[in-house]
Amino acid sequence: MLTKLLSSQKAIYHIILFFSFSLTVNYFVELKIVNFIAYVLFHLTLIYFIFYFFHFTLYFIFFLYAVLFDIFLINNIGPHIISFLIFLTTFQLLKKFLLNFSPFKISYIIIIISFIMFIIESFISKILYNYPINYNDLGILFLISVLMFLPSLYMFSKIDKL
Amino acid sequence: MALSFKVKAISRSRLLKNASLSIVFILTFLLILFSKSDYVIINKFKSISNSYIHPITSFVVAPVKVASNIKSQISDFKNLKSENHILKEEIMRLKKWQTLAIQNSKENRVLKKLLNSTDNSLSLVKTASLISRNDFMYGKMININAGLKDGINNQMAVINHRGLLGRTIETSIESSKVMLLTDPNSSIAVKTIFNENFSLLQGADDGIHLVSIFNKEEQIPKIGDLVVTSGTAQVFPSDILVGKIVKASKEKFYVLPFVDFKNIEYVQVVESK
Repeated sequence: MLTKLLSSQKAIYHIILFFSFSLTVNYFVELKIVNFIAYVLFHLTLIYFIFYFFHFTLYFIFFLYAVLFDIFLINNIGPHIISFLIFLTTFQLLKKFLLNFSPFKISYIIIIISFIMFIIESFISKILYNYPINYNDLGILFLISVLMFLPSLYMFSKIDKL
Repeated sequence: MALSFKVKAISRSRLLKNASLSIVFILTFLLILFSKSDYVIINKFKSISNSYIHPITSFVVAPVKVASNIKSQISDFKNLKSENHILKEEIMRLKKWQTLAIQNSKENRVLKKLLNSTDNSLSLVKTASLISRNDFMYGKMININAGLKDGINNQMAVINHRGLLGRTIETSIESSKVMLLTDPNSSIAVKTIFNENFSLLQGADDGIHLVSIFNKEEQIPKIGDLVVTSGTAQVFPSDILVGKIVKASKEKFYVLPFVDFKNIEYVQVVESK
């Protein structure tokens, strides 16, 4: 029963999400790149998960993740929660339209959405809590997203075939 | 009959969906509002997540932590020779300062007795070690393994052997969160040692330096001046070393903190006597 549950696609995505979340909120001084990779992986997994496994319970799960991200990274609540909810609501409104696209186009949409989410998070943390927009970090996130985009999509497609 | 049951089931699930969405949105709005107004519920929520969720995430990433430590040990080992040379020079310099300090301290004690002045030294609340760091991208914060049970409260100064590190902002029973000086939302009242220019500093955008946001009488100190806490804001005790001025323009100046924020192991939580 447990083996069956753990081998289900949704469970694997949840494990990836939790693992990447854990890696992001624990800062490694000597391996800062790991934090960036985990942060990007979390966003890519989240967007992919919502595209192909959308369910309204995800609102609660991502709400919890967003609150924890905000508490651990900013010590105030706002930027991640707003960004995640904007994305989830927009997706629900445009779901019928978006899912008509080919998988090729959807994969490009996923990376564009992740870019937009990074920008929104930085922008809201600047507006709400006076954290300056760090263009260096944003640049690194964009670069890692581009580099990780194809390998992670390959990994997701392998998971989907399980 | 069957059709009416189906319609009822659909409308019920849609109602449930809409209700849960509304709950999420209302919760979001309330959480942001409480967070902005520093409401007590949010502080409890933060301390619960720090006490219970953070240990779980730390356990999950333990292998990566080990790898990071190994990498740091290797780089320390590489720099051993040059570091040794620097330390030898520093010992020579410090010996000269020590002789001078002993002379000054004797003189100070005599002068204090003559003036009948009160002693303004620090009192140690607790020495703690670092549990984890939260200085990725936005905030610059660390967690230490001392909390309310050790007498630590919010807004206490945290130092190490090099100087001022930051202040406590969240305290739970077992642990506390410390906002480092380099956080853009930190604010420290400081003065220069030589001519006592009073200013306010906050974390600069680069995450390394501190930048002045207010200078009393618009006086800009010189490059190379040492900066200590002024004690005027009542958060930090006075005369704790902060850093050295490395860059100055007409309106503001930049301070490089003495504390090496990459290598924090043990800290001390202090308060004024």
